[in-house]
Amino acid sequence: MKLLLVDDEEKFISRLAERLKLRGYKADWATTFDDALARAGAEKYDIAVLDVKMPSMSGIDLKSKIERITPGIKFIFITGHGSEQDYDTVCQEAICCIIKPFKIEALVEQIEQALNS
Amino acid sequence: MENEMGKICAEGFTFFGKSNRLISHELKNIFAIISETMGLLDELVALSEQGVKLTPARLRSMSDSLLEEVERANAVIRCMNTFAHSVDEFIREVDLNEAVLLTIQLIKLNPISKAMKIEFMRDGAHMIYTSPFFLENLLYHALNFALSAAAAEKVITVSLFADGNHAGVEIAGIAPGGVKAFPTPQTELLVKTLGAEISSDGSSGKFQLVLPQKLPQGPVEALLAT
Repeated sequence: MKLLLVDDEEKFISRLAERLKLRGYKADWATTFDDALARAGAEKYDIAVLDVKMPSMSGIDLKSKIERITPGIKFIFITGHGSEQDYDTVCQEAICCIIKPFKIEALVEQIEQALNS
Repeated sequence: MENEMGKICAEGFTFFGKSNRLISHELKNIFAIISETMGLLDELVALSEQGVKLTPARLRSMSDSLLEEVERANAVIRCMNTFAHSVDEFIREVDLNEAVLLTIQLIKLNPISKAMKIEFMRDGAHMIYTSPFFLENLLYHALNFALSAAAAEKVITVSLFADGNHAGVEIAGIAPGGVKAFPTPQTELLVKTLGAEISSDGSSGKFQLVLPQKLPQGPVEALLAT
């Protein structure tokens, strides 16, 4: 079970990764697109958890690039944008979209559903 | 005139909405960091109760990090508060330094702009009598345009100038030829509303917003009179 977490907020994503590791997941994290793509090229991940809005490229564009590297990988989006419109748009691109801040149990539940679907 | 006033009002509401979205997004990111830090801290303490070592350095690092995020949130809220006061008096004396600084702070909340650099050369007070809100609205569009058309270095520099009955803002660092696309149709109404002019030579990678010392009679004053 390997997760790739991508968000430009380093403190957020590194701590989220550490908490997921405490729950038994192998979780790598990246704060830039280049790093995320390099990791996706070097490791086969089951799920990518991506921030929707980051500098340089949107999470949706990053999703397309990761999909080309790892066909079949599943995606969960996370976002600080709480509008219904943003939420609906992003939900069409992934298993789900979780609004920040969230309880880790909500993410874990989505990860487990994705793996069992 | 009524149609023009309607368009200005719509533009102002849109700008206010966009700014609020940027502020809300930044605060949600800060809350997410605080939430993950507190969650991790709680889990590390639980593990330490089972005998896993938790060092004072690790605790201090997380505590410092929480304080940094509180400071960051406080800066965002100060920016929000200053912005909210832009509409207290719709026309008043404004220091261009403050208007530019506030607009840069708002723009830097956009994740996309975090990959870019905006250098502002603060100057002595440049007071003009204008609408602070619509000035910030115009600066917001001007700086966003500059960021979207920036040269390869991705550094936009902003400076102020004064010239007789005018004061202004110079924005530089745009890719060759990029300046021609400004003002965009979206900003033309604001330029007109503020009695401003856009000055550029097209090839220099910079343009100037030239503002009158005193807002001329026009739609903004008419809006207040109705």
